[in-house]
Amino acid sequence: MPNPNVIPVRDVNIKTKFPVARIKRIMQADEDVGKVAQVTPVIVSKALEMFMVALCDKAADQARQRNSKRITAGHLKKAIAIEEKFDFLAEIIAKIPDAPSAPENPPSAATNSNDDEPEPPKKTRRPRGSGRAKKEESL
Amino acid sequence: MADDRDAAANDDLSLPKATVQKIIGEILPNDLSFAKDARDLLIECCVEFITLISSEANEIAEKDAKKTIAGEHVIKALMELGFDEYVAATKEVSQEYREHQKSREKRQTIMEQSGLTEEELLRQQEELFGRAREKYNQEAQG
Repeated sequence: MPNPNVIPVRDVNIKTKFPVARIKRIMQADEDVGKVAQVTPVIVSKALEMFMVALCDKAADQARQRNSKRITAGHLKKAIAIEEKFDFLAEIIAKIPDAPSAPENPPSAATNSNDDEPEPPKKTRRPRGSGRAKKEESL
Repeated sequence: MADDRDAAANDDLSLPKATVQKIIGEILPNDLSFAKDARDLLIECCVEFITLISSEANEIAEKDAKKTIAGEHVIKALMELGFDEYVAATKEVSQEYREHQKSREKRQTIMEQSGLTEEELLRQQEELFGRAREKYNQEAQG
């Protein structure tokens, strides 16, 4: 039965490869996992590549919606939260502070400051616009 | 071979930051940057993804009464977990790997069947190269 949620993967030709030995180690860190055929870390590597493309693309969307040129952990968190198949990551993103809500209209002075340090957890910004109800975003 | 379980004690159960950074660079357009905290979060997600797939594949292998996780089990796991869109490309990779292995084995067999040691084969190869070089130089001068 075809899965209605199949979003076609963007066809990106990625030259850099994940270290296959490292992937195998991570796989076998699970005590239940015993021997794995040599091809399996190679397959997992390819799946991981596509997984990364999906996450990066969606995180980029979140950044663009907030008029930011810099993708932060908050953007990535949002991208993960709104996708059902990424539910397995719920625990990992729980500790990450939310990005500010995406405004309905792009604010005038929008970009985040270009600091190189990771931003410390901060309160969400003052809502912009006079009294207009913000789009409710449910996690 | 080192005991892979010892790696759990090390930080080695993660992906190399530089590699991940390079891949991010290949994925994103030039006008966007990826903050450090985002990258570190992404790495954690990747590791979790590997763990998820492995665990599911392991269960599938067990149901298949197999002690070793095979490529087919991993691909089935992807489908079970809702990553159907990854199946086509991973099947391709699996196929390429199989062919690569076959050609490797073929080369090995040819080498073994020649009855010559590796040193002898290298020597013969050097000889052939030498002759080809001479011929090339003569033609270049002529």
